[in-house]
Amino acid sequence: MRNSRLSAILVALAVVAAAQCLAAAGRTSAPDVVLQGPAGTPVRLSDYKGKVLLVDFWASWCVPCKTSFPALDAIYREYQPKGLEVLAVNLDEQRRNADAFLAQHSHRMTVLFDPKGVAPEAFGVKGMPTSFLIDKGGTIRFTHTGYTGNVDVSYRREIAQLLGEQ
Amino acid sequence: MTLANTRRLAFVLAVAAAFAAGGCAAVQPWQRGRLADRCMIFDADSGQVGYMTHWQEAREGSSGGYGVQSGGCGCK
Repeated sequence: MRNSRLSAILVALAVVAAAQCLAAAGRTSAPDVVLQGPAGTPVRLSDYKGKVLLVDFWASWCVPCKTSFPALDAIYREYQPKGLEVLAVNLDEQRRNADAFLAQHSHRMTVLFDPKGVAPEAFGVKGMPTSFLIDKGGTIRFTHTGYTGNVDVSYRREIAQLLGEQ
Repeated sequence: MTLANTRRLAFVLAVAAAFAAGGCAAVQPWQRGRLADRCMIFDADSGQVGYMTHWQEAREGSSGGYGVQSGGCGCK
């Protein structure tokens, strides 16, 4: 009797552990969030499926973002001909703050807006800035929280790896 | 203390705890725009603070307590 009860408890624990593993595995898939374009037009992340995507969450008040923003734009200019798409998602509550920042930082990468912060919540952003490298199948493969200049080497290596995949 | 009083006290404590917990809020990283505003900085001039800290550490022959590791030689 005692043995059967123990077995039942062990089976239940195994089921819970397996469910957690499956949930963790499912989390690597990029959430299909809807962002705003500069004119307010909705842009869905799944529209970019099939492309290697770098999604960067930034804000005008975030000090490291002042360095990361031009650095990511340089990466975009370098790898865009090879198929990379960069979405710089601004999280300022006030649009005018983002516009003032953008006026001072010329850029070619796509800048989108999420003033309500729905997308960073869905992605589980832990700090500012945070960027996610998403492969052609829509899976989050690499995450970078914060920014230092040294990380550029990692970005380039990871982007080259994802661009090389089918 | 009677059982009724103990229950009453437990109820009051539970209500107080609920009110206290209601004052807590998790500020997400992307919600710190207002906290990062210049007017929220205690020391407006970071250069001046660095200078003051430097001569204070040199004078006292000690360093630290400001989140920076250093010796006490005043040569930082």
